[in-house]
Amino acid sequence: MGLLVSMILLATLAIACLNAGERGVPAIEQRATALNKSIMCPVCPGESIDQSQNSLAVQMRAIVREKLEEGWTDRQIKDFLVERYGPSVLLEPPATGFNLAAWILPPVAFALAIAALLLTLKWMRMSAEAEREDGDEFGGEQRDYVSRIEDALGPETVRESDSEHSGDTRPEGKT
Amino acid sequence: MIVEAGQIALVLALIASVYAATASIVGVSRRSSELLVSGRYALYSVLPLLLVSTGALVYAFVTNDFSVRYVAENSNLAMPQAYTWVAFYAGNAGSMLYIAVVFSLMAVIAVVGIRKALPYTSPYATGIMALVLAFLLGVMVFLANPLARLAIVPADGQGINPLLVHFGMFIHPPLQMAGLVSVAIPFSIAIGALLANRGGNDEWVDQGRLWGMISWVILTIGLLLGSWWAYTILGWGGYWAWDPVENSALMPWLAMTAFVHSIMVQKRRGMFRMWNMIIVIVGFTMAQMGMFINRGGPVPSVHSFAQSSMGWLFLAFMVVTLVGSVAVFIWKSDTLRSRGRLESALSRESVFLAQNVLFLTVAFVTLWGTIFPIFSEAANDTVVTVGQPFFNRVNGPMLLLIVLLMGVGPLLPWRRATVSHALRLVRIPLAGAMVTGVVLFAIGVTRPVALVAFMTCGLVVTGILYEWLRGTLARHRGGEEYPVAFVRLLSANRPRYGGYVVHLAIVMLAAGAIASSFYSVQRDFAMRAGDSATVGDYNFTFIGTRHATFPDRQEDYARFEVFKGDSYLGIMEALRAEYPAFRIASTQGAIHSTPIEDFYIVPSEFDREGPAIFRVLINPMVWWMWASGPVLVLGTLFALSPRRRPVPVAVPTRTGAGAVRA
Repeated sequence: MGLLVSMILLATLAIACLNAGERGVPAIEQRATALNKSIMCPVCPGESIDQSQNSLAVQMRAIVREKLEEGWTDRQIKDFLVERYGPSVLLEPPATGFNLAAWILPPVAFALAIAALLLTLKWMRMSAEAEREDGDEFGGEQRDYVSRIEDALGPETVRESDSEHSGDTRPEGKT
Repeated sequence: MIVEAGQIALVLALIASVYAATASIVGVSRRSSELLVSGRYALYSVLPLLLVSTGALVYAFVTNDFSVRYVAENSNLAMPQAYTWVAFYAGNAGSMLYIAVVFSLMAVIAVVGIRKALPYTSPYATGIMALVLAFLLGVMVFLANPLARLAIVPADGQGINPLLVHFGMFIHPPLQMAGLVSVAIPFSIAIGALLANRGGNDEWVDQGRLWGMISWVILTIGLLLGSWWAYTILGWGGYWAWDPVENSALMPWLAMTAFVHSIMVQKRRGMFRMWNMIIVIVGFTMAQMGMFINRGGPVPSVHSFAQSSMGWLFLAFMVVTLVGSVAVFIWKSDTLRSRGRLESALSRESVFLAQNVLFLTVAFVTLWGTIFPIFSEAANDTVVTVGQPFFNRVNGPMLLLIVLLMGVGPLLPWRRATVSHALRLVRIPLAGAMVTGVVLFAIGVTRPVALVAFMTCGLVVTGILYEWLRGTLARHRGGEEYPVAFVRLLSANRPRYGGYVVHLAIVMLAAGAIASSFYSVQRDFAMRAGDSATVGDYNFTFIGTRHATFPDRQEDYARFEVFKGDSYLGIMEALRAEYPAFRIASTQGAIHSTPIEDFYIVPSEFDREGPAIFRVLINPMVWWMWASGPVLVLGTLFALSPRRRPVPVAVPTRTGAGAVRA
């Protein structure tokens, strides 16, 4: 079934992309759509003017279209709308002043997360090694052998046979 | 009369849940099994009581009893009869009742399940669930009683937001709310185990995983149906807008996705015990954040259906549970030492950890973007919006990285792999990614980001198929016929192979999202009846409109005759409905959907006399996103389906294995 699903998936992917040329959408209209998607409708919270059916959104779409036809750049149109409706009309915060924080934090968070991950992995490896060195009950090769047995058994098997054996009385937790 | 009975039942339910919480906590400290049993039964009794209240509210809706304030505010005579049965969860107070009744049902099932399996954990978990219920019921009884009467009975109600009058209303909001509240169950079990000093042995893991996955699948389907609803009725051709409420439903989903993976590491290897506790706490906090943002949240959203001033109470409860559970975690953290050790950075457990970290980072960044406008306003008094372009840019790459890990992680063995072994394992999937890339490039997919994204999907799919093939071949060599070998392979390790099916569903979802966000085509046309237009190889003619008047709305159907190339696709009808009472217009796209692409027409500006403006979209592969839903549910059910009992042969090895583990 999975094979079938993925074969069909790849095939449709191919056909879908084969179909997806520019399809004769005029460049100006593509720009208008892209702009509309980045501008918020001031009276319908959370919706872009591309999305909204509100009459103000309709007017703003017309303004965008008109300015584009007059040869304005995207930047100019955005500035014009910001002047009229305030900075909240843009669907992404400007990368200046305090709002720069909105943009800086995600990559910083990502970098910190990766750093924390690598440090954790290293620390876990080191503590595992340290434990192995001082007084592990199974040393060296033997430990390797034991871990392979554990793997083969799998903790589930052990747990299920435990509970089956002991019925209602729980095995005491071993810490 | 019936309404009063419902009110009484609501108060009794509150008393019962407060009693259940108290009896469980006191019962544990006094070691009184009578108290524990009575607490448990008190919790059980909340369910029938709340069913009575819910029944009373539904009765009030169905009989148009506008003397009940909540009914008057959320219903009217013009509302179709079918919707009166479900309208009770459309507003704030009623949705609280819905959440409470669903949660009490889950709590009863969960407690019945853990009572025998986790005898030490059960009382604590019962107490925590009862506390959550007591909070919900307390808010209802004292502040937002859905059954409160009005002094003056209006002749007709105010009616419901027309955007909610849609088939999706029957499924998406209830599932979404159920999903959010269900996160409280794995949370209660985990924190219960911690309180009972049972966090350090892994007995709670099976129940925690079961409820984690139940909660995950409900959240997933809730999100998918929400997108589907937006796509078909909100009529702008998209399905996900990174709206604050969407984000707040996504965040707990991200946390729970991390949880259902990392809990497997604890199940198999006895590791990540602390980490799982942290994740489940994060998940529950995010779920409550979701409820808070949905109800009178601080950020404006299109979803503010259940807006109220009560959001801050949810925030307060969130802070209380967060502080409480973190305190418990710190207090008991020395009971959470790992049994297993991390042997290599190149192992399945470390990929799981990386995946977890990424999921939480996406959740955190999403939270950051969602609440950033508040900081900005506080800091320099300017209101800014953080919307779709921002989230696509910051979350897109991380989500892609997660898809990549989804392809690599399951291939790596537990414990450790050598570099050469790992390279051998990813060789075939990498080849799959290359083939995907070359084929797509050859047929004209040239945008680098889209290409890389599709190649990642190709890698995941090849990896999964390769695993299936390898396993089946190995079994075939053992003498089984191919179909038998395949079925036995899958059922031998259900969590694993169910997980693969879910991964395939996620690839379907991702492929649909990537294709439609990079290769969607959109054009607006001003048309009068009789006009024709062409987009791509679609030709369509606007035949005219069909008008219908209803007591609450005006409906205009725009009819189109559509051809694709030479083949006739039929008549398509797009709807625009106007609700004068709400001054809202809703549109419903006419969609011709195939696995390859959707042809989508939606009226954007409509004039009965002059030319109307229609938006026409070709959205590639959106069909796959909706199709992934059933696959995903099947995969999850398969992963959860119980294994056959182990054969008695396992018994003699038990003592040996036990000694090894001790």
